[in-house]
Amino acid sequence: MALVQQIQLQTGAGARGGVRRLTGSPALRMVGRRLIAAVFVLWGVTFLTFAVMSALPNDTAQAILGLHATQAAVAQLNKTLGLDQPFWQRYWTWLDGVLHGNFGTSLLGLNINHELATHLPVTLLLLAYALVVSLVLAIIVAVLAARRPNGVMDRISLGISMLGLSAAPYAFAFLLIIVFAVKLPWFPVISDSLGSTPLSYFKALTLPAASLGFGLFAIYTRLLRADMVEQMQREDYIVTAKAKGLTPWRVLIRHALRNSMFTLITVVGLNLGGLVGAAAIIETIFELPGIGNDLLTGIGDHDTALVEAIVLVFALVTVLGNLLADLAYTVLDPRIRYGSSNS
Amino acid sequence: MAVPTPDVTLATPIPPPLPSLVNNRRLRTQRLGRTLRLWVPGGFLILMLAMCFVWPLIYTLPSSENGNIIYSSEPPFSPGHILGTNQLGVDVFSQIVYGGQVAFEVSVSVTIIGIVVGGAIGVTAAFFGGWIDAVLSRVLDVLIAFPALVLALVIAEGLGPSEPHVILALSVFAVPALGRVVRGATLTLRALPFMTAARLAGTRGWRIIVRHIVPNIVPGIVTFSLLGIGIVIILEGALDFLGYGIPLPEASWGSMIAQGQQVLTAQPEYVLIPSIFLLVTVVALNMLGDALRERWGVR
Amino acid sequence: MTDVLLQVDDLRVSFVVGGRELRAVDGVSFSVDPGRTLAIIGESGSGKTVCCRAIMGLLPLGTAIGGSARLRGAELIGLSDAELRKHRGSDIAMVFQDPARSLNPTMRVGVQITEAIRTHRKVSRHEAQTQAIELLRLVRIPAAERRFHEYPHQLSGGMRQRVVIAIALACRPKLLMADEATTSLDVTTQAQIMELLLELQHELDMALILISHDMGLAASYADEVIVMYAGKIVEQAPALRLFGAGGAVRMRYTRALLDAVPHLERPAHSPLPIVGGRPPDPTALPPGCSFAPRCGSAADDCVAKAPALLEHAPNHRWACWHPCENGGAA
Repeated sequence: MALVQQIQLQTGAGARGGVRRLTGSPALRMVGRRLIAAVFVLWGVTFLTFAVMSALPNDTAQAILGLHATQAAVAQLNKTLGLDQPFWQRYWTWLDGVLHGNFGTSLLGLNINHELATHLPVTLLLLAYALVVSLVLAIIVAVLAARRPNGVMDRISLGISMLGLSAAPYAFAFLLIIVFAVKLPWFPVISDSLGSTPLSYFKALTLPAASLGFGLFAIYTRLLRADMVEQMQREDYIVTAKAKGLTPWRVLIRHALRNSMFTLITVVGLNLGGLVGAAAIIETIFELPGIGNDLLTGIGDHDTALVEAIVLVFALVTVLGNLLADLAYTVLDPRIRYGSSNS
Repeated sequence: MAVPTPDVTLATPIPPPLPSLVNNRRLRTQRLGRTLRLWVPGGFLILMLAMCFVWPLIYTLPSSENGNIIYSSEPPFSPGHILGTNQLGVDVFSQIVYGGQVAFEVSVSVTIIGIVVGGAIGVTAAFFGGWIDAVLSRVLDVLIAFPALVLALVIAEGLGPSEPHVILALSVFAVPALGRVVRGATLTLRALPFMTAARLAGTRGWRIIVRHIVPNIVPGIVTFSLLGIGIVIILEGALDFLGYGIPLPEASWGSMIAQGQQVLTAQPEYVLIPSIFLLVTVVALNMLGDALRERWGVR
Repeated sequence: MTDVLLQVDDLRVSFVVGGRELRAVDGVSFSVDPGRTLAIIGESGSGKTVCCRAIMGLLPLGTAIGGSARLRGAELIGLSDAELRKHRGSDIAMVFQDPARSLNPTMRVGVQITEAIRTHRKVSRHEAQTQAIELLRLVRIPAAERRFHEYPHQLSGGMRQRVVIAIALACRPKLLMADEATTSLDVTTQAQIMELLLELQHELDMALILISHDMGLAASYADEVIVMYAGKIVEQAPALRLFGAGGAVRMRYTRALLDAVPHLERPAHSPLPIVGGRPPDPTALPPGCSFAPRCGSAADDCVAKAPALLEHAPNHRWACWHPCENGGAA
């Protein structure tokens, strides 16, 4: 959901101010506090998922055995699957397993640990590809745009990022398929196998990554451009830099971009959560063997264990992403690294 | 009276006011640009709303649910079917119109629910602070870290597909997002001196909320909501696309894209037409939001 | 005329705000001689900062600038950004109001100085560092070698302003503009920074433009004083004439600014006179004198017609229909 992240982008603005204001408190304590909050959030997510999945009609056994199964057979299967136990007990059993590194078995009898081991890399590769390419492009385009606000480059970049912000990833995916897989046979329509060479990976993942990345690119570009233009207009250190006689590019890159990156890092971390939904849909469209695809299957099958495992992994990625962003901030931003003596 | 001025003053004529440095055309272009940035997307949205809600009342459209298989797969601009028919012979324009109704109904309802519920949570958390804020913020954190699409899909799966259920499912997105935004805005306001002044003057808590906080966060909420409506339209399409949204044969833009997927290679227009309507509507909403933000000076 | 360092004639600056023209600076002329000090005084929004930034070409793109500003006879207005850059930092330098904001918070102090040196002179990294540390010593920063590697937030306010001055002096400019350079500092630091600026002025034979709202600063340090209001100069005279014995202030606005300076001779707890009213909306200036709405002795002709800035007495210009007598002392 390209646009979902806009929500977090908005909320991210508050986080940015928060981080700027945090100067003064020792960095380590902040990370420690975040870590505790993260554990709480992770637990909340697993519990919520379990509760929601349990609210689904308990017809799994019936579905597996077929409509004509006897009452006794259904009860027997429920017992085997542990579905007859009360909610709290089932949750506890599950949580105990996870804490011991065992995600359990899916309703279809698959070992979820194994499933994750084979499918998670595909999803992570897809996300990393989309993220890195959109970040690099966004930085280049935003710098070119911020050089002359309201100039030609700026208007073009605003137009493109408006499209990226407004395009539904699933609709954009089909546009890409029509153009780059059907009319121009450069990429496969379906990427159910990644192959084994770097080229086959590239071919299989490019269109899905582009579908995901366009929205990200739009968000990052808008954010970076706005932040840099604002700095260039408001901040005195920019005027100081210009007054030294530095070239505009140098001012933009060494002074404005450098400081905008801190904001960007936070937003990238915050955005990871929103990527999950989009990744699931895109994987389904391209039939990629990733965990997003499994997630949708799992929801359709009312497969609590499978959905729980994937949601937990995604939540972990989100929370870790946020923590990493915080850490990067702490390591990179001297204002936090050294703590502030005054102001 | 005045100090006697030297003669030189009387002799020197007053210079006329200096001419403007900025030519009028530039000023006019700028003003025109400002107006257009507001009214082009605004006008387009009014047209879209009229097309979806008023046009079917004036003019009887072909059914958006059933078609005659004899007239299936007609290309756009066919007589009687301005956008053609799909593989089952259903009129595409009718589907767009009724799908658009659904998109607007769902997105506006979800956003209103988000503003009311999320706004109440956000203001309460920020205004009262302390443990109330701590608890409410953690709940919002969990809801935001939780892949909301999963929750929405599970709700749709559990309750069965229907428009009210889609609205309920998507509210799961809107409530925490708006809650956070409102909380942030309220916190910023609370720190301003005039809030302290109001509290020192002995104004009651709820009165401060109603008289001072609400009016000040309205512009931010309105522009954010326009963005939000766009997001919800896309999400609603996603649910439809995945088969968890509006049940067939009722028309929706997302399910049109899903149906078009089956004939993607042969007739790409079935995917493209709803996609374009989806894109242009959301672009208009975002542009309107940007224009209002510029006018109201919302950051 | 050749020994004039900076000659500004009829300088005008307009912004376009919300589809309307905002004349921030409207026909300002003055000159600065080498080694001398000019004070430009006015309330915030009177155009004094914009005026100086226009000369250095530091205003945002799309700002309309007219008139002329010549540095040793060479025109600056209308130069391309690339040509202006050769002057920025090397011939003209600037010090800003808030040292907390005028240094990049994420860059080491040393880098911010060497950057200025290396832009204009082809020197090695090492040589630039040596020069930068020398500069830090020049602005009287103790333990210069250590400070070189620190970040701005690790320094105190006065220390930061010294760093900003070091950056400005990196290439020994001929003209230094100090834009409210001491306003955000506490009083003792203010005095130290001003003394430092004056010492450096003599050491390096620089001309100084002091931009401030503080008439006291002009009285203590300036050779020549300009008072600006709503983008125009309203009074211009040598400091001695304005502030000397039997001061000859003619504008009521100047008088008001002067009265707003606290004096020890005043009885304790007597309210400080303030300039009443607000500065006018620069996009909708009144047709007559811009100060008329706030002026105690405004008459009908003030509202109807704007007075021009004319040289009524030798070297003393003012723009008023009804100037004060006896320096307007209350």
